[in-house]
Amino acid sequence: MSLRQEFSKGMMKENPVFKQALGMCPFLAVTSSVENALGMGAAATFVLVSSNFLVSLFRKVIPAKVRIPSYIVIIATFVTLVDLLMNAYLPALHQSLGIFIPLIVVNCIILGRAEGFANKNKVVPSIIDGIGMGLGFTLAMVVMATFREILGNGSWLGFNLLGTAYQNQPLLIAILAPGAFILMAFILGFFNIMEKRKRGGAK
Amino acid sequence: MGEIFKVGLMLMLVAVIAAVALGYVNSITSPIIAEQKEQAKLDAMIDVAGSLAEGELLFDSLSVPELTNPYADVDQTLAVVSVTDSTGCELGYLFVAYGKGYSSTVQTMIAVNAEGIVTGNSILFQQETPGLGANVSNPEKFLYQFDGLNASGFLLKKDGGELDSITASTITSRAVTNSVRYGLDALADAGLIPALGGAQ
Repeated sequence: MSLRQEFSKGMMKENPVFKQALGMCPFLAVTSSVENALGMGAAATFVLVSSNFLVSLFRKVIPAKVRIPSYIVIIATFVTLVDLLMNAYLPALHQSLGIFIPLIVVNCIILGRAEGFANKNKVVPSIIDGIGMGLGFTLAMVVMATFREILGNGSWLGFNLLGTAYQNQPLLIAILAPGAFILMAFILGFFNIMEKRKRGGAK
Repeated sequence: MGEIFKVGLMLMLVAVIAAVALGYVNSITSPIIAEQKEQAKLDAMIDVAGSLAEGELLFDSLSVPELTNPYADVDQTLAVVSVTDSTGCELGYLFVAYGKGYSSTVQTMIAVNAEGIVTGNSILFQQETPGLGANVSNPEKFLYQFDGLNASGFLLKKDGGELDSITASTITSRAVTNSVRYGLDALADAGLIPALGGAQ
């Protein structure tokens, strides 16, 4: 696979959320506004690239039997480092992203890519894979957040789209947890139909 | 047996490297973070106290007896700071109200003048649900209602008072409202502001 393909597969063909159904926890939890979705996506992408880099760098050193605990230690260390450094040197960014950073530890996309890609591939493709998957995750988060924020708050990225009258009486369920599950079902259903059509056409 | 040791040692090595790296970074960043927190608190104090009077203000810590706060998950000593202008004239007090919200203990800094009227506020800390309870930090959603109230005004409409709560975030709204009322009552008990039903 070329580097270009490694990069673009994360967007659609192997999109972590739509196709692999990974990272459902942040996908449901922090998509109540587009701003949060972008923040989480950016933070997760950074950790994903860094952990892919380290895991592929040490893929021959770490024994196969303890690879999963080792990856978890690497990921958790990285997340904590990002949290500390951001808190110390970029306090404004930390203020807005702070609550998402600890959540990245439990984001299974990162462990999934470490186990599924980075431990079998060289450093450069692993970094590219991390960027692609991270952006694919961000894209999925933004799609979901777009639906939820417009329906549930009448706005997109904070801009009032549907007017104050709608904002006073929005479809509130869309930004509450049940709305997230309902919308997720529709979105994943849509991608499954697409997949089926595509396969049906190929036969 | 030998292999288990080898594999175990490798895992230990990974963990030790991670621990050393974290410890090192923490030793560098923790003083910076502490300093920034202190600075942010001071900025908030100056900002909130600015609602009491213009010009240079002096702060002085007071000790108000330890309280059992039913709205926080821990017993908190109410840290009260008295605010005076440069001539020593007493203007009012600052205090931080701790209220247990939906997913965090919300800390609200309140400025109250000598008559017991709230003049300024700021949320110092909250980790409520993004898009819902986190709106408590947005003054236009909730806090705008606070200025000009005394202790009796801090009650949500749902609890028989006058304040509108944040849509779909009653727990957060109630935490802030009740903890502020509780703090004002404590100041009145300590004789710093007039008790309700007394001088008014």
